[in-house]
Amino acid sequence: MLDPKIEVFGLVSDAGPVVLFVLSVLLSFSIVSWAIIAFKFSYLRKSLKESSVFLDYFFDVYNVEKVFTESERYKHGSLPKIFRSGYIEYQALDDKRNIRQAQTRIARAVKREANTENKNLSTLVPFLATVGNTAPFIGLFGTVWGIMTSFHTISLTQSASLAAVAPGISEALIATAAGLAAAIPAVIGYNYFTQQISIIERDIEEFSPEFVAALLNEP
Amino acid sequence: MKKFYIWLVVAAATHAIALCAAVFFQIWNAGNIVKPKIVSVTLVSLPAPAGGTQELSDGEGDAEEIPVQVISPPTPSPSVEQKVQKPVVKEPQQKPPQLLSPKIVVEKAPASQPADNQLQKALERMKQLVDQKTPPPQPSSVSTLNSALDKLQQKVKSAGAGNGGGAGGRGVGGGGTSKSYKAAVASIIQQNWEFSGTLLKNSGGTAVYVRINILPDGTISQIIFDRRAVSEYLNNSVKKAIEKSSPLPPLPKEEGSRDVWIGFVFSPEGIER
Repeated sequence: MLDPKIEVFGLVSDAGPVVLFVLSVLLSFSIVSWAIIAFKFSYLRKSLKESSVFLDYFFDVYNVEKVFTESERYKHGSLPKIFRSGYIEYQALDDKRNIRQAQTRIARAVKREANTENKNLSTLVPFLATVGNTAPFIGLFGTVWGIMTSFHTISLTQSASLAAVAPGISEALIATAAGLAAAIPAVIGYNYFTQQISIIERDIEEFSPEFVAALLNEP
Repeated sequence: MKKFYIWLVVAAATHAIALCAAVFFQIWNAGNIVKPKIVSVTLVSLPAPAGGTQELSDGEGDAEEIPVQVISPPTPSPSVEQKVQKPVVKEPQQKPPQLLSPKIVVEKAPASQPADNQLQKALERMKQLVDQKTPPPQPSSVSTLNSALDKLQQKVKSAGAGNGGGAGGRGVGGGGTSKSYKAAVASIIQQNWEFSGTLLKNSGGTAVYVRINILPDGTISQIIFDRRAVSEYLNNSVKKAIEKSSPLPPLPKEEGSRDVWIGFVFSPEGIER
C-alpha cells in the first residue's frame, strides 16, 4: 500500500534492528514526556489557582480556625497544605503560652511541609530535562548507525548511485527526526514547569513566616 | 501517581492515534505526491554501422530491418519526434533497400556534414508524416507516444515484409529477431543509465551517438562514440550504462557465431517537464 521508497513508514519498516530500537526508545521517551507534561500541567495549574484563592481568603479572614476549615477544601494547593501542617502542629502544642517553643515547632513543621511540597512539585520534571538533552543524541546515534549500515551496503553492492545511497540515508535520518520530535516538547515543558515551580517556591518562602505569625498571634 | 498513570495511558493512546493518522494521511496523500522534476531521457537505437548491421540483416530480411528503433519514448518534444520518426515510417515504406543507408550515414556522421543533412531531412519528413497521421501527443503522455511509435513500427514492418517478399522472398523473421534483440538491449542499457539533467542544464546537452560491438555470448567487446555530447557528464553516464549492461543476453541463434554492431542515440529530453 505504501511505496517503501517514498513513504516514511515504508522506510521505517526497512530499517535495521538498531534503528528500530532507537526509534522505540524515542517513542517511549516521547510518550512518557507527554504524560509528564500533561500531569504536571494540570497539577501545577491547580496548585497555583488554589494557592491564590487561599491567600485571598487568608488575608481576608484573621480567624485561623476558619482559615483552616477553608484550607481543607484545597487538596492540590501548596500554600493551603503548608498552612494545615502549621495549624496541626500548633494544635498539638502542650504549652501554647511558651511562644519561643511554639514558634520553633510551628516553623519546623511548616519548613518540613514546604520541603515536601517542593519535592512533589519537582517530581518527574527532571525526566523532561533528561529527554530534552539525550533524545537528540539518541536519534543521532540511530542516524549514524543507519548511515554506517547504508555505506556498508553500498560497498557490498558496489554502487554509489543516488538510488542506492538515498534510501539508506533517508531511513537513517528518521531517527534524528524522531529524537528532535521527542526532545522539543520535553525542553519546552521543562522550561515552563521550572518557571511555574519557582513561582510556587517563592510564594512558599514568602508566606510561610506569615502563617507562623498568624498562628502564634491567635487569640 | 495514579493520575500520572492515567495520563501515561492517554499519551500512549494519543501517540498511537497520531501515528495512525500519519499513516492514513500518507495513504490518502499518496496520489498527490508532487514528484520532483526529473529528467526524461530518450534512448533511441540507431542503425548499426554498416558492417555490423549488415551482419545482422544480410542473412534474412533486409527489408524488415528498422534503422531506428524507439526504445523508450521520452516526453514528446520536437527533437525527440525527429529522432524517433525518421526512418520508421518513411524510409522503409518507400525504399526498403535504402533502410540500410542511414546506417552508413550514421557511421560517418561525426566526420561528414552531408550525412547530418540527410539525417535531418529524414527526420523532418518523418515528423511531418506523423503529425498528419496522428494527433499531437500531450506533452506528458509518454504512453500515447509509445503507442504511436509502435503503430509506426508495425507499419514499417508490414511494408518491409511485403517488399521483401516481392523482391526476393526473404522472410520477416530475421529482421524481427534482430529488432527484438535490439529492443531488449536498449531496455537493459536504459535501466542501467543513471543520469541527472540538472547537471546538464547549462551545458547545452546534445545527443550521444554510440555503437557497441556485441559478441555472440552477449559480451560488449567495444564501445565507439560516433558523436560525443558537449557534456562529458552525459558521455560518461552513457559509457557507464553500457559497461554496466555487459554482459547482455546472448545473441539470437539466427545471428550465428558472428558478433554484431548496434548503434544507439542517447539524448536528454524534457528537462523542463
